[in-house]
Amino acid sequence: MKFRPFLLGFLFSGQYIVAGGTPPHKVDQQFDKTVKPFVSKYCVGCHSGKNAPAQFDLKSYSNVDMVRDDFARWALLSERLQNQEMPPKPMPAPPAAEVQQIVDWVKAVRADEIRRTDGDPGVVLTRRLSKAEYDYTIRDLTGQDMKVAKEFPVDPANEAGFANSGESLTMSPVLLNKYLKAAREVANHAVLKPDGIDFAAFPMKVETDREKYAIKRILSFYSAQPTDFADYFEAAWRYRYRTSLKKPNTTLTATSVNAKLSPKYLAMVWDILHDKDAAGPVLKLQKMFLALPDPKTSVKMSDVSGDCAAMRDFVVKIRTHTAMQFATPHVEGLPGQSEPLQNYKLQEFSEHRRESDPKDLRNDNDPPLVLPEIPAYPPLHQDAAPRWAALSAKARAEDVDLIVPHGERARYEAAFSRLAAVFPDGFYVTERGRYFPDDSTDKGRFLSAGYHNAMGYFRDDLALQQLILDDSGKKELDRLWNEFDYVADYTAHTWEQFYFNQSGEAFGRGTESGSPRPTDHALTDTEVISKMRDAYLAKATASPKNDPAAVEGIRTHFDGVNATLRSLEKQRMAAEPKQLEALVSFAAKAYRRPLTPAERKDLLAYYHHVRTQNQLSAEDAMREAIASVLMEPDFLYRLDSAEGFVASSSKPNFVRVSIATPSKPLSSYALASRLSYFLWASMPDEELLRHAKLNDLQQPAVLLAQTKRMMKDQRARGLATEFTGHWLNFSLFETNNSVDRMRFPQFTDELREAMFEEPIRFVENIIQGNLSALDLLYGNYTFVNPPLAKHYGIPNTDDGTNRWVRVDNAGQYGRGGLLPMAVFMTQNSPGLRTSPVKRGNWVVQKVLGIRVPPPPPVVPELPSDESKSELPVRAMLAKHREVPFCASCHERFDSFGLAYEGYGPVGDVRSTDLAGRPVDTAVVYPGGVKGAGFEGLRSFIKDHRQDHFIDNLCRKMLSYSLSRSLQLSDEGLIDVMKTNLAANGNRFDSMIETVVLSPQFRNKRTAPPQQQQPTTQVASRKVDEHVTTRQ
Amino acid sequence: MSRLVNKFALPLSRRAVLRGAGCTVALPFLESLHALADTPPAAAFPKRFGVVFLGCGINEDHWRAEGQGADMKLSKTLSPLEPIKQKINVIDGLYVHALTGQGIHPGQTGSLLSGAHISKGAIIHSGISVDQMIASRVGEETPQSSIVLACDQPMTGYHESNFSLAYSSHLSWQSPESPVPIEVYPSLAWDYLFDNRGSVQNLSILDRVKDRARDLSKSISSTDKGKLDEYLTSVREVERRVESMRKDKVNADDAAKERNALAVAMMDRPANGLPEDLREHSRMMCDIIALAFQTNKTRVASFIISHDLSALYYPFLNVKDGHHSASHNNNSDDYERIARFHVEQYAYLALKLDSMKEGNGTVLDNSCLMFLSNMWIGRKHDNFRLPVVLAGGLGGTLETGRTLNYLKESEDNRKMCSLYLSLLDRYGVKQDQFGDSSTRLKGL
Repeated sequence: MKFRPFLLGFLFSGQYIVAGGTPPHKVDQQFDKTVKPFVSKYCVGCHSGKNAPAQFDLKSYSNVDMVRDDFARWALLSERLQNQEMPPKPMPAPPAAEVQQIVDWVKAVRADEIRRTDGDPGVVLTRRLSKAEYDYTIRDLTGQDMKVAKEFPVDPANEAGFANSGESLTMSPVLLNKYLKAAREVANHAVLKPDGIDFAAFPMKVETDREKYAIKRILSFYSAQPTDFADYFEAAWRYRYRTSLKKPNTTLTATSVNAKLSPKYLAMVWDILHDKDAAGPVLKLQKMFLALPDPKTSVKMSDVSGDCAAMRDFVVKIRTHTAMQFATPHVEGLPGQSEPLQNYKLQEFSEHRRESDPKDLRNDNDPPLVLPEIPAYPPLHQDAAPRWAALSAKARAEDVDLIVPHGERARYEAAFSRLAAVFPDGFYVTERGRYFPDDSTDKGRFLSAGYHNAMGYFRDDLALQQLILDDSGKKELDRLWNEFDYVADYTAHTWEQFYFNQSGEAFGRGTESGSPRPTDHALTDTEVISKMRDAYLAKATASPKNDPAAVEGIRTHFDGVNATLRSLEKQRMAAEPKQLEALVSFAAKAYRRPLTPAERKDLLAYYHHVRTQNQLSAEDAMREAIASVLMEPDFLYRLDSAEGFVASSSKPNFVRVSIATPSKPLSSYALASRLSYFLWASMPDEELLRHAKLNDLQQPAVLLAQTKRMMKDQRARGLATEFTGHWLNFSLFETNNSVDRMRFPQFTDELREAMFEEPIRFVENIIQGNLSALDLLYGNYTFVNPPLAKHYGIPNTDDGTNRWVRVDNAGQYGRGGLLPMAVFMTQNSPGLRTSPVKRGNWVVQKVLGIRVPPPPPVVPELPSDESKSELPVRAMLAKHREVPFCASCHERFDSFGLAYEGYGPVGDVRSTDLAGRPVDTAVVYPGGVKGAGFEGLRSFIKDHRQDHFIDNLCRKMLSYSLSRSLQLSDEGLIDVMKTNLAANGNRFDSMIETVVLSPQFRNKRTAPPQQQQPTTQVASRKVDEHVTTRQ
Repeated sequence: MSRLVNKFALPLSRRAVLRGAGCTVALPFLESLHALADTPPAAAFPKRFGVVFLGCGINEDHWRAEGQGADMKLSKTLSPLEPIKQKINVIDGLYVHALTGQGIHPGQTGSLLSGAHISKGAIIHSGISVDQMIASRVGEETPQSSIVLACDQPMTGYHESNFSLAYSSHLSWQSPESPVPIEVYPSLAWDYLFDNRGSVQNLSILDRVKDRARDLSKSISSTDKGKLDEYLTSVREVERRVESMRKDKVNADDAAKERNALAVAMMDRPANGLPEDLREHSRMMCDIIALAFQTNKTRVASFIISHDLSALYYPFLNVKDGHHSASHNNNSDDYERIARFHVEQYAYLALKLDSMKEGNGTVLDNSCLMFLSNMWIGRKHDNFRLPVVLAGGLGGTLETGRTLNYLKESEDNRKMCSLYLSLLDRYGVKQDQFGDSSTRLKGL
C-alpha cells in the first residue's frame, strides 16, 4: 500500500509555511550560529550516518523545522547533555556555558512552538476500527457480545504504543476478507421479527437455533412473573400491619408495587383472606393468616416468611388434590395420543385451572376409601389419563382437609370453588412429557406439547394472564408467543411432521404413518388442511361410541393450524416494510450518524436487488444487507474528521484559543464518536447520539455532563482495557506469554485470565470511582478472584461464586497498586528466570516514561534457566555493569528491576530464587538513593520520580484520546493537564475532562497539515520495541 | 407457508436460464488445469469421503455377508451390492460407546460420526464428526469443503428422552455446538456446488462498498483520502480474487463443452422444489454427490436418506407404516424392503462413482463411501452393533472385497471410532484420539 498522505503532505507542507507566514526568528538564527557548530564539534563524530548510535543521525537536521518535527529526540539530547551523560566518557566534556546555550535553545524552540501552535488539533487520520473496537462496537450495535474479531490479526501500535490511530491501522485484502467473514457471522445472528430485527446470542444456523431463541425468551418472561402465593400472603400481612410497620397511610396497591407483586392479584388474595363467608380450606387459610404475628412486638422476618410459605404449601396441596382432570376424547380407530385429540385435552387443562373438582371432596360419613390400583405407564400412542387419575386419587386419600362435615356440602363446595378461582392449580406450563400431567418422567422438553416422537408446542398460561398480568404484560406475552411462531415457524413444522408422520392414522394406515407428499408449497394450503380436518371429522363421527367432544377438538385444532399459518403469511407480508425501517435504523446506528436520503434509498435498493435479482428470501436478503452495512467504510472506519459527507450545521459556539493552523469544531456526530471511542472504545449510545442530534455537544457543560456519565458507565471498561493494556504493554498477555507450565503448574488458564484482569479492574475502579491517579502507584489495595488470591497467598475469598473482591491493606501480601501485579512480573520474565532488565525497563520506560536508548545490536545473553545458572541474576548483571559502555544504560534501570527480585517468574512472592539462593532486593537507585524491595521502589518513585509518572500518564492519555502521536503543540495542554491534576487531588476525571474540553479534542484541522514524517515514526517505534524485547 | 414458498416459487433467474441452455457443468478433476496433459499418476487424485445413512437399523435376518472377493456371498438386503462386491468391505460388530445406554433414538444418533458424549436438554453439544474432520483438511482445496444432504427434512423440538431431535436429524457436526445445516432441496444443493452462490453474494457486497468508498473519497479531505484508497485497493483486490475464481470456473465449463467431454456425467440443474417421489429425490442427490466428487467441487459428502425417527413413507414399496413405525417390526418383510431400498441407493451411488474413470481406475477407487445406520435391530433399539459397509479402495490404501467381523473382539477392539481413526490416517488427518478411541481398527 502506498502511503499517499505522506506524498500529499509533503507537497502541501511548503504551501503551509507560506500560508502560516512564520517569520524568521531568533531560534532559526541560533540554529545556524550556535547549535550546528556545537553539534558538529561534539556529536556528529559518532551520531551520523545510517549506523548512528541510537539511530540518531544529528547530521541530518538541516533546519529548525526538522528539529520541531522530531522534537522528542532533541529534548532527550538536551537532557543528556545537561546530565553530562553525553558526550560519553572518555570524550572531552564541552564547556558548561556552551551546553547551557544548547539547553536554552531547545527550551526556546519548545516555547516558541507552543506559542505558535498551541491547541492545534493536529492530523488525525481517518482510520479503521481496531480489533478491540470492532468487537465492542458490534456488542453495542447488536446487544450481543459475539467476539467475532477474535480471528483478526493483532493491530500494530503507533509510536505512543496505542493501536488506535491511522498511523498504524492499515487495511489489507487479508483483513478485508476477515471483515467479510465477520460481517456474515454477525448477520447470521440476526432474527427477523414482525416489527423489526433482533440479534440472538448465537447464530441462526439450523431450525433448532430459532426455537431455542424464542423459547428462552418465553421461559424468562414466565419466570420473571411474581407467582409465589407466599409473597402475596406476606404483602397482605404487611398491609394488615401497616401501622405497626410505620406506614399507616400506605395502600394495598402501593404495598404490592413495593413488593414487586401484581396489584390486581394482591387485591384478590386480600379479598379471600377477608372473605366473610369462609368455610373449609378458606377458613383454615384465614386462620393461618390471622395467626401471623403483629410486628408491634419484635418479630423475626424469617418467621413470618416461613409461616407464609406454610400457607402457600397448604394452598398448593389443596389445589393439587382438587385440580380438574381431563382425558383425550375417545375415537374408534384413532390412537389416544392422536395430535388433534391430545391438543383438546391440553386446552381443557389450560381453561380449567381455576376450578375445583367437587368429586374430590369426601363426606365425613362416606365409607372408607378403597385405594385405586396404579396402572403401569400406557403403551405408545395411548392416553395416560387413567394412570394420572389413579395416582392423584392415591395422593389425596390421606388429605383430611378434603373431608366435608355433615350438612356442609354446598358451603364447602362453594369455598373450594372460591379458593380455586383465586389460586389456580398452575399459572403456566413450562414443560410436558408424554404422560402429561404426570411429570415424574420425560421432563425437560420446554413448552413441548408432549407428543411422542414429533415436535409440537402448546401454550398454557391463561391463569397467568387472568390473575397476574396487566394489559401490557398480556400484550408482551402474546407478542413473545407470536414471535416464537414467526421466528421458528413451529406451527408449520409441526404440521409438516404431523402430515408425513402421523396423519396416516386417519386413513387406517396405522400410527406413525403419513400421507403422500403433495407438492410442497401446497402442503400448508388451507385446502390441504381442510381436507385433513374432514378426514379426521369423518373418523370422529363414524361411531356412536365416540366422544362427541372429539368433533370440537378436531375442528379447533385444524382450524387453529390454518388460522395461525394464514396469519403468519399476512404478518410476513406486512412485516417487510417495518423490517426495512429497522434496517435503516441499524445502518444509522452502525454509521453513528443519520443516513442521508440518498444513502437510505441506496440501502433499500440493495436489499431489493438481492431479494429479486439473486432470488433471496426476505431473511437472506436482510442478512446480505446487514453484512453490506458492516462492510461499508462508514462503519469500518472512523470518518469523524472526514469532510463533507454529513452536512454540518454546527456553528462554533465557544471561543477557541487562537491557533495558527486553520481548524474548525468537529460536527456534533463526529464529536460524539470521538468521545465514545475515547471513553468506551465503542460507538456512541442513544443518549450521546441524541445530543449529537440536538447539536449541543460542543457546549462545554453538555460535553462535561456526558463525560461524567460515560465514565461511570460500565462501558468505561473499554478505556481501562485498551488504554492500560497498551500503555503498560500487557494487552497480548493472554496469548503471548512465555510461562513454562511444566515448571509452573500453578499457572493455569484461570490464573492467566485473572492476572490479565487485575490491572483492568483496578483502573476501571479508578475511572468509575473518580479516584486519584496516584492510586495506580500507591493504592494499598487491589482486586482478586479466588485463583489470584490463592496465587497471592491471600486468605480464601471464594464464596463459591468465583467473584472478584477488593482487598485492602494489600501491602501485607506484597501487593497494592499496579507495580507489584503478577501480570507485569510474568510478562517481563523470559520463562525460567526473572529479568531485572525487562522489569526495570518496564518501570522506567512504560510506567515513568523515561526514555532509554536502545541497546547495541550485540548484547550478551543471560542463561535462560535461573535454576541452572552459577550466579544469581543479580550478580551477573553487576558484572555486566562493570563494562562502562553497558553501565551507562543499565544504571538507569537495573536497580528498578532488581528491587523486584522478591517476585518469581510468575509474580509469586519469594525469598529464594529457582536455584534455592536467597534473593537480595537491596538496590542503589540513580542518584545514590538506597532502597529494598517493592516498598523501597515505591518510596523512591514517590520521592524522586512521581512527576515523571504524572507527566507520562498525561502524555499517554492525551495521545490515546486523540488517536495520534503527540506533537509539540500539545505541550501546553500537557501542562494544563498536570496543573489540573495537582489542583484536584490528582483525581482521574480532572485529567480526562481537561482532555475532552481541549481544542485538540473538539476541533479538527481544515487545511492539509505540515506532514509528520511517517518514516521517523516507524523508526522510533522500532526503537521502543527493541528496548523492551532485548535483554 | 412462505418459508418454503420463498425458496422455489420465484421465477427463474437469468443465470438459471443460461444454465438451462448450457445444460452441463464443469470438468473432472485436474482437467481444467491439465487439459491436454497425460493421465496424472494415481497419487495425484484426491481422496473423497462419503456417508450414506439409514435411520433405525436393518432387518437382521437378511443382513449378512460371508467369504471374500469374488466368492463373497451377500444376503438379500445387501444384494444390490453384488456388481461391486469386490470393491466393498462389509463390517460387522462395531459400536459407538457414548451412544449406548443413553436412551433411545436421538441418544443413539447424535454423535454417531464423532463418538462424543452428547448433552441432554436445551444446550446442544455433540462433537466434530469424522466427515467434517476430513473436510477441514481436504476441503480447503475445493470450492465447498463438504456437502450435507438429506431426503428427510430435519426435525426440531425434543424427544421424550430429553435429547434434542436435532441429534436425530444431523450426522455432520462442524463444531460441538452446531450441526452443519442440511440441504434437502436438490436444486439448492446444485446451486451450492455449481453456482458459486457465495461468491456472487460477496461480489455484490464488494461492488456496493466500492461504490460507496468512491463517493466518499470524492468528498473527503486529501489526507483521509489516502486511508480510503487503502481500503478501496483492498476491496478491489478481494473482488479480483473472487472474480478470477469465477472466471476459472466459466473457462473450465466452456472447455468441457468444447471437447464434449463424455467422461463427465451430464446433469441439468434439478427443478425447484422437493421431488414428490422419494426414489427420484434420492437418485438426484446421489447424482449431485457423484458429479461433485468427479468435478472436484467437494470431496466430502454426507447423505441422510432417512434420518433417525424418520417420518418417510414408502407407498412404492407397499409398506403401510411410516419408516420409524415399521422399524419397530424390523424383521418384517416390509422393513427389509425399506432397508434394501437404502442399500440400492448406496449401490447406485457407488456404481456411478465406479463408472467415472480417473487415471487407470475410477472415482470410486479413490473414495471411501460408508453405509451406516444408528441401530442394528429397530424393535430392540439395539445399537451395540452397527451395520457398516465401506465401498472404494481410497486410492489404493484400503483393501476391499472383504467381510470383517469384530463381534467376538473385546469392546476395546471393536470401536467405530477406531475405524474413524484408521480412515482419518488415510486422509492425512493424524489424530491420537478420536471420540472414545485412541487405537486404530485392527485388520482394516
